[in-house]
Amino acid sequence: MSVIDWIVLVVTLLSIILYGLYKSREEKNLENYFLLNRSSSWLLILLGIIGTQASAVTFLSAPGQSYTDGMRFVQYYFGLPLAMVILCVTFVPVFHKLKLFTAYQFLEERFDGKTRTFTALLFLLQRGLSTGISISAPSIILSSLLGWNILWTNMLMGGLLIIYTFTGGAKAVAYTQQVQFVIIFAGMFMAGYMVVHLLPGDVGLSDALHIGGRAGKLNVITSGRTDEKFQWNDRYNIWSGLIGGFFLQLSYFGTDQSQVGRYLTAKSTRESRLSLLLNGLVKVPMQFSILLLGVLVFAYYQYAREPLFFNQTQLDLLSKTKYADSLKIVMKEYEHLQDEKIEQMKPGNEPQAEQRMRQGLTMQFVQKRQTELRKTIQRWLKDKEVNGDPNDTNYIFLRFVIDHLPKGLIGLLIAVIFLSAWGSIAASLNSLSSSTMNDLHKRWVKKPMEPVKEFRVSQYYTLFWGIFCVVVAQLAYNIGNSLIEAVNVLGSLFYGVILGIFLVAFYFKKISATPVFYSAVVVELFVIAIHLLNQNGIVNISFLWLNAIGALGVILLSLVIQRFRIIPGTSLVNTKT
Amino acid sequence: MNLPPDEKPPVFNSWRSWYVLVIGFLAGLIVFFYFFTKYFS
Repeated sequence: MSVIDWIVLVVTLLSIILYGLYKSREEKNLENYFLLNRSSSWLLILLGIIGTQASAVTFLSAPGQSYTDGMRFVQYYFGLPLAMVILCVTFVPVFHKLKLFTAYQFLEERFDGKTRTFTALLFLLQRGLSTGISISAPSIILSSLLGWNILWTNMLMGGLLIIYTFTGGAKAVAYTQQVQFVIIFAGMFMAGYMVVHLLPGDVGLSDALHIGGRAGKLNVITSGRTDEKFQWNDRYNIWSGLIGGFFLQLSYFGTDQSQVGRYLTAKSTRESRLSLLLNGLVKVPMQFSILLLGVLVFAYYQYAREPLFFNQTQLDLLSKTKYADSLKIVMKEYEHLQDEKIEQMKPGNEPQAEQRMRQGLTMQFVQKRQTELRKTIQRWLKDKEVNGDPNDTNYIFLRFVIDHLPKGLIGLLIAVIFLSAWGSIAASLNSLSSSTMNDLHKRWVKKPMEPVKEFRVSQYYTLFWGIFCVVVAQLAYNIGNSLIEAVNVLGSLFYGVILGIFLVAFYFKKISATPVFYSAVVVELFVIAIHLLNQNGIVNISFLWLNAIGALGVILLSLVIQRFRIIPGTSLVNTKT
Repeated sequence: MNLPPDEKPPVFNSWRSWYVLVIGFLAGLIVFFYFFTKYFS
């Protein structure tokens, strides 16, 4: 990185920390620390919701995802607008009426203390681990591409934001997310502009889209059907997005404190509803734009040298193994292929239609052979003796940025990675601290505390979770890629069950505490069992469906236990509503 | 549980109109994406 890039990066990050500290000077009590004195406007909440959901991996992975697999990943978000409507109708008015600190507090009002504790513990486990991974994943990529020390990168990624999250709580989180949003989207817009600008003179945006389309990258809508059969293990199609995605997003926005904590800060139900509905309007187009960036990068590489494998450290690793000689041969063939491609893609004197056909054929041939060579590299990396990482999707966009974008913009885009990570992690730390303080500490430690003491204890919980997440990030790096993959599906292991508990609470008034508690425990074990069977190839099902299985499982089992009173202590009607 | 009456939303007269807008917009996007996929494939 050049000096200009370093200056842009350091100034941007320092400005955010100082701004967060500046916004931290407020009265010291729990209501302000976790809920901003319930005074937020819809705009502040909307930017908080978007900033919390969009982590660094969103901006690193999504363009790489469309580069390799096309734009069908956008279907993953189709369930989100539907979930926003259900939340506004059901969850939001109840949460505001009860003036809750956490979503799990509602479960004690509706059921009992043990259901609240169980759900809060599921949340703390899931959110604590996944926040650690959301620190680790971008740190691994940055340290690999820029040669930075992984411990220091983890400390910068997960440690610096603790300063303002610890001091200012929800207010510092919300106001920094607002500024981060502007910087992130300015950076991504500039990156998009530069990709189109870097294309050869006679190739415009429309041509770039046609190139992406011919290569099958603009597959925004897919049915999930191949050979006349629906593929249950197909991750992203319109049905898994609408149904599985709906349950996932409903659970995430309705029961995950990192999101619920954002709209509980609203000054009224109206502000919460408005922010969630606007999120339902902007999220899909926003994700579409980020994915389109990957297709444009793909189009750019049809006219330029494309790396054989975007994670150079893995090629360096292979060059020290028994595959070193074979790698040289593959690299040589690949270089020759690239020379031929660049020559063929140059515009000639023939008519435009013929030129397009020639370029199309060249692209198809190069892609086919390139895919074969990449698969060979991936097969070698999977070899137990090599123990490498065969997935370079997350490296594609940043590698393009470092190799081809001008000085200054590289620093800004690396700052974008940090800021998107910080926005998401800061909200997570605030919610972890809120749940620990309100759902566990205040219920278990009966001794009353002064508001200032409560505030101080909450700050220490924020610090504790910050250190915990950085330690998880470092462990994730040491254990390797397998843990990262496992934790990517972690949300789906727990969200379904948590959502099931909340759906019973809202829609099944006759079900009492005992059936829902035991159903949740049994279904959680069942979901984990399905996941383990999936991992070992005994069943084959996409992780998105686990959300639906968990939620519906809790509802059905609760109904059966309540109807037949299988568990002793099941009351005939719920007495708390 | 008795909930307080809904506050009036901005722009429209009821929240129901907002819900229709969000779901209708999603349906419109899916139709647009369908033709986008067809056109460029």
